[in-house]
Amino acid sequence: MRSTKSNWKMKVPWFLLLLLVMLPGRMARAQADILGEWSPRVYNDGVDVGDYTGIPLNEAGRLRAETWHPDQIDLPENECRPHPIDVGLRVSVSQLRIIPELDPETQQQVGYRLHVAWQQPEQVIYTDGRPHPSPNAPHKWSGFSTGHWEGNTLVYTTDHLKEAYLTRTGVPRSSKSTVTTRIHRYGNYLNVTFIINDPAYLTGPYIREYSWVYAPDQVIAPFPCEIIPDGTILPAGSVPNFLPGKNDILYNFATEYGIPPEAALGGAETLSPDYIKKLKTMKVAPRTTTEHFKRAG
Amino acid sequence: METKWGSAPVRAGRILMFAAALSVVLAASLTAQDFGAQGRSNNQAPAPQNVQNRATKTPRVAAPQDLTGYWVSEVTELWRYRMMVPDKNDYEFVPLNPEGRKVADTWDPAKDQASGNACKSYGAPGILQVPGRLHIYWQDDNTLRMDIDSGTQTRLFHFGGSAPASEAPTWQGFSVASWEGAENVDTRDGQGGPIQDDAGRLIPGRPLRQADYLKVVTTHLRPGYLQKNGIPYSGNATLEEEFDTFSDPYSGSTWLTVASVVTDPQYLIEPLFIHVHFKKIPDESGWDPTQCRANEPR
Repeated sequence: MRSTKSNWKMKVPWFLLLLLVMLPGRMARAQADILGEWSPRVYNDGVDVGDYTGIPLNEAGRLRAETWHPDQIDLPENECRPHPIDVGLRVSVSQLRIIPELDPETQQQVGYRLHVAWQQPEQVIYTDGRPHPSPNAPHKWSGFSTGHWEGNTLVYTTDHLKEAYLTRTGVPRSSKSTVTTRIHRYGNYLNVTFIINDPAYLTGPYIREYSWVYAPDQVIAPFPCEIIPDGTILPAGSVPNFLPGKNDILYNFATEYGIPPEAALGGAETLSPDYIKKLKTMKVAPRTTTEHFKRAG
Repeated sequence: METKWGSAPVRAGRILMFAAALSVVLAASLTAQDFGAQGRSNNQAPAPQNVQNRATKTPRVAAPQDLTGYWVSEVTELWRYRMMVPDKNDYEFVPLNPEGRKVADTWDPAKDQASGNACKSYGAPGILQVPGRLHIYWQDDNTLRMDIDSGTQTRLFHFGGSAPASEAPTWQGFSVASWEGAENVDTRDGQGGPIQDDAGRLIPGRPLRQADYLKVVTTHLRPGYLQKNGIPYSGNATLEEEFDTFSDPYSGSTWLTVASVVTDPQYLIEPLFIHVHFKKIPDESGWDPTQCRANEPR
């Protein structure tokens, strides 16, 4: 009898130790698993010069956008310039990888790292409670992000962003922007919602959302990018642009789709269902084609 | 060697017991913090009886999100496909198969209007893309109702069960709703059997994550259009939607986002993903019911 009691006493510590080993594993599962490879299901509709539709752009943003020239892409400083994550995930329609971000010394997870195939921009989202750096700290293409879990959704805030674009065709987003991102997995789908607040170029929040499908066998190839010397594609020292009011291709998009020119330039008012009534009263330039969309893709 | 703490093996065992017990307490505390960090109001894992109580709550009472109220479209996605009627054959962003393209190419809005099919672009897979306002409220404890001013349509989200076998196809189909996102721990007892309490009653697993979004699956659809310009979906289509609501700390806006996946083996080569967003508004101001119109944006 005494022997049985003694055996029991000896077993309890080992049982409790086993619990100790198992519990951290259970806690790790308390958050949705967003890690892995994700294949894009993204529809990028802002590909035309003069297409600012759906963007709550203000006058300053519109003015900047109108000066953008498509040849600016061929400037040496732009050839290998990555899109920030909030833009890149849409306009480059790229594969996405999410991996844990580990502290190099403790090997404990301190956040998540997003890797996008096109131009390979990366974004680290710290979930360990660290503060954002000083406003004077350097700004980066993908900024500085801290986040937390709200139920099954990873919510994070990004600031310290460099000036970049909201579309492929020159609609600007300033370095004063703050981006709130929500990543939510449901089943084998991953939804990413961006809410961009930019006091410089937007009159209100700009919300966009994209989806990915889980693709465990996906391979993201390297994205080598070589800068072609200045003067090879464009005359050295030149910066293609349109001076204010001189953009002669600005309204091509509106004309070809039968959109009132003013409406194609965006703005908060244009995002409301009530604007449809106003659209019907606005003038539309004579259409030169109704097959413009066939150029795309 | 005997000391007041006992023999060496026993002492080692007691130290281990103390360390293990301490770690269990610590881990339990961290788990509670973990739940708190995920926006839970309760910082402790619910006791089994609480889990059982929750299981008896109606979907209305158990709702982890409040989707009710008035909402207005914020058209930031696919603006020219939604604020205007797009051109015939413009199906750039829809993964149509050849049969789907063939049907889309025959779109004739005047014919739809004349033949009583003006509501084809107001069916469940397309209706939330049509700019407008929503009024969401509980029709009863198990049915969430969505009134839509564009086309004067109503969708009913039925919690529990499935579509009756005799359900006839309609524009809005039959929608089965559930609060999703919950995940329980393994409920087995280590030997493949269920966990039981001292009285032999089954104990559900302690939830690691609680439900936090609305999933709606809609079938029994009357064939209609995914876009205003006659992009078809068939009666075999399935619509799966995820509704989520949250506040944006910078603008103070409350958002409703709806992510939809349309699966249609007849007309699509792969599922179509659609995203729409709504802003919460205080009341019915601006509510503007329209009739179904085949050649109007709303």
